[in-house]
Amino acid sequence: MDLMTLTVLFRSVLGDVQSEDLWSSLELMGKGMIGIFVVMLLIALVILILNKTTKNKE
Amino acid sequence: MNEFSFLTDGVQYVAENPNVLVMWLIGGVLIWLAIKKNYEPALLLPMGFGAILVNLPLPGVIGDESSTGIVSWLFEVGIEASEAFPLLLFVGIGAMIDFGPLLSNPKMLLFGGAAQFGIFLTVTVAVLLGFPLVDAMSAGVIGAADGPTAIYVSRVLNSAYMGAIAVAAYSYMALVPIIQPFAIKLVTTKKERMIRMPYNPASVSRTTKILFPIIVTLIAGLISPQSAQLVGFLMFGNLIRECGRLESLSQTAQGPLANLITIFLGITIAFQMQADQFLNWGTLLVMALGLVAFIFDTIGGVLFAKLLNLFLPKDRKINPMVGGAGISAFPMSARVIQKMALKEDNQNHLLMHAVGANVAGQIGSVVAGGIILSFAQSLGMM
Repeated sequence: MDLMTLTVLFRSVLGDVQSEDLWSSLELMGKGMIGIFVVMLLIALVILILNKTTKNKE
Repeated sequence: MNEFSFLTDGVQYVAENPNVLVMWLIGGVLIWLAIKKNYEPALLLPMGFGAILVNLPLPGVIGDESSTGIVSWLFEVGIEASEAFPLLLFVGIGAMIDFGPLLSNPKMLLFGGAAQFGIFLTVTVAVLLGFPLVDAMSAGVIGAADGPTAIYVSRVLNSAYMGAIAVAAYSYMALVPIIQPFAIKLVTTKKERMIRMPYNPASVSRTTKILFPIIVTLIAGLISPQSAQLVGFLMFGNLIRECGRLESLSQTAQGPLANLITIFLGITIAFQMQADQFLNWGTLLVMALGLVAFIFDTIGGVLFAKLLNLFLPKDRKINPMVGGAGISAFPMSARVIQKMALKEDNQNHLLMHAVGANVAGQIGSVVAGGIILSFAQSLGMM
């Protein structure tokens, strides 16, 4: 196991804060927000296409 | 006198476990909030009563070595085994939602994404407070402003704070009318809050309404497979509603199904409110983190709207308050925005824009839950 990932940054209210957890949470923030926007943009795009293609038929 | 000791065993149990008195008090407060303050009564009342019930002397509703109590059984079957209760509730919620305002104005979907920011920020804050990552991620999902998602994700991640997370999720949802105006005013000027937005909805065909839940399920399932259950059941309920052939099933999903699950979900969640699990500093911090999540969800949505305004022409600016409606607490958040808009300018009607952002928040919250689960899986936590 990589020793860097087990570094204790500091002791907080509930216990030790591991650098690995902190980096993972920041990675989750970045990937999570990007992921949500990708999904939302795709859905928006699909709605736009559906609205265009089905408008005249009904 | 010893022959009558069975009559005093319960009192002795309480004397030996005084923590249960605190839980009875917490249960009483939840019931009071539900009845007197009308705060999410459908969930807080069963949870409050459940908090009292599960802290009675054993075996009670929990059971012991020789028997399984009813609440333990409900928890095992309804939540632990398959997360069935929150998922079935999603069928009802999906049947209740009219995505029309969103379909006629799809750019509102972006706010449903931006207003999930509080979830991810809260995860980092929780880690900085010393929570293990798995509990931090569970606490963050309180910011989904969506009780079933919070319960589902915290259960799948096997968080030790599931009870506190459920209480926080539903309590803060009830407090949206207090939390959101405070957060919005922190990051907007009066001039911004007075921006008017004309409402010219595009017509939405029945085909679009029918295809929408199917396509959303496909997109979410392909990009974030862990969200398939959440999004799938939500959209299944919506398809029943929009197909036009299953009116009776739609009414059943919206009414009896949702009501039945709600009755049992609250009392089942109370399984996690046994004094020895619930009364600790972590619970208090989870409650505080829930507030952080709701505030930064709102701020995330508002700031994103302000960011978009930098690129929009003057006559097409977005009232940033609409961004704050991108949380999942439906329809409360939309109503709050409408009320705030009318307070600033009694001719400014933002309701339909806010409703669009609000239903987008329903999708955003379940997708966020799925992304968190996918991330947890990639880290080998599940």
